Amino acid sequence: MSTQTPPRYPFAWTPPMQVPEALRNIHKTSAMEVTLPSGDTATLVTRYKDVRALFADKRLSRNIARPDCARISKDNDLFMDPNIDPDPPEHTRVRSLVTKAFTARRIEALRPYVQQVADQLLDEMEAGPQPVELNEALAFPLPIMVICKLLGVPAEDRDQFRAYVDGFLSVTKLSPEEVGACRQNLWKYLGDLIDSKRDNPGDDLVSELIRVRDDEDDSRLNDHELHFWTQGLLIAGYVTTASQIGTGTAVLLHHPEFVRAIREDWSLVPSTVEELLRTQIMGSSVGTMRYAIDDIPLSDGTVIKKGTSVLLSEEGANVDPEVFECPMELDIRRTENHHMTFGAGLHYCVGAALARMELQVATESLLRRFPNIRLAAPAEKLPRALGGFMEGFTEIPVEW
Amino acid sequence: MRVTANSETCAVSSLCVYRVPGVFDQDEDGLVLVLDESPAESLYEEIRRAARGCPTKSIRVVEDSEVGEAAQAAPAAPAAPAVETADAATGGAA
Ligand code: SF4
Repeated sequence: MSTQTPPRYPFAWTPPMQVPEALRNIHKTSAMEVTLPSGDTATLVTRYKDVRALFADKRLSRNIARPDCARISKDNDLFMDPNIDPDPPEHTRVRSLVTKAFTARRIEALRPYVQQVADQLLDEMEAGPQPVELNEALAFPLPIMVICKLLGVPAEDRDQFRAYVDGFLSVTKLSPEEVGACRQNLWKYLGDLIDSKRDNPGDDLVSELIRVRDDEDDSRLNDHELHFWTQGLLIAGYVTTASQIGTGTAVLLHHPEFVRAIREDWSLVPSTVEELLRTQIMGSSVGTMRYAIDDIPLSDGTVIKKGTSVLLSEEGANVDPEVFECPMELDIRRTENHHMTFGAGLHYCVGAALARMELQVATESLLRRFPNIRLAAPAEKLPRALGGFMEGFTEIPVEW
Repeated sequence: MRVTANSETCAVSSLCVYRVPGVFDQDEDGLVLVLDESPAESLYEEIRRAARGCPTKSIRVVEDSEVGEAAQAAPAAPAAPAVETADAATGGAA
């Protein structure tokens, strides 16, 4: 390892539609040092084979609330709650309580509701002046309404809630004081929500988790965990999907040939959604921070030493030429697209099926409604969210 | 072809259920169920894809050729562990 400062991570997508140089060269080594926004360094694991195996490796702990673990941000203790242990067996216990809500059957039962919300948002969009900013019109309101329904959050709270979440996910955008205020507000909001569900339980996930908390023996889900995981579900279920709807659509509209192909064959929507997820233009892997609790050899013999802070590069795995043919190319017809965007192993994103469904509905509904929809600004000029957890485009003007 | 799945390591991704609905299903908690252990040949390719794509490698496919060999070598080997044992061990210990 040289004495130079390791490259900054996340890698910058500038210009926005072009794969960063660092990502093109990432497979030359199986692991590389990177500098995080906090200034701390961590080891980024780059190849599909290793990333996939390490997602399922017990020697990597997800509990990063350790004094010597690298921090993502100086201003935000993202994912570092010392009261929560996201490793088994605690994790397994909590996870099994929520997976029920995310089975294929439950997700499909939600599809008509998602369609209805999408139609309504597109009605409003169509009725207003052009160009329209797609994040505001569709990408953010849709998943917020869906997750609010799933978790039983009153729809009228969603703007307020969104402001708290945006602040919560700041990496460098806000000062520590501002982040703290957002987190406090969100925490209080959730406390009030939990209290009101306790008095008036409904047919939603928060009520279900409260029932487990209150009815079963106390070892199952304590108050803090209930609060913490509700927050986690709300955030994970919203901002990631929102960024992906907006940014994925922008990428798609940047390729009119694909839009045409989809219009001729709507069965391409799911594989298009997967391919947009694979190319992962809107997020890096800072959320995959892990801590090695033992020495871990990678497939080429490189050893990750115990005590190392490790990031598993989903975006690196997703463009590994050993697994994906022409990995830098966007191919909406890929039939076998086992990308790592939702992770792998027992921490595989519990909301993946829900996110996929929302992305499919949003993409198809938008293209069906507006046969001539296009970007109303040059793709290279789309502004990107910097200093946040999600790095999608902040403004996506469209016209039709 | 014979298809089995290990619900103990299943992470409820629903990927297999979407890919081959007649063969894979989920129980109340979302854990994988195999509906048809000896599926029609027309589904083989999709089932192989589902097995490769399972994020926890919980799906085990024994090809017809292997079934023959296995039958000769060891007659009764029910629900063999997933192919890549490292993952299966991790998930199982969870
Ligand atoms: S693909 Fe694997 S993890 Fe997902 S539901 Fe099927 S068996 Fe479970």
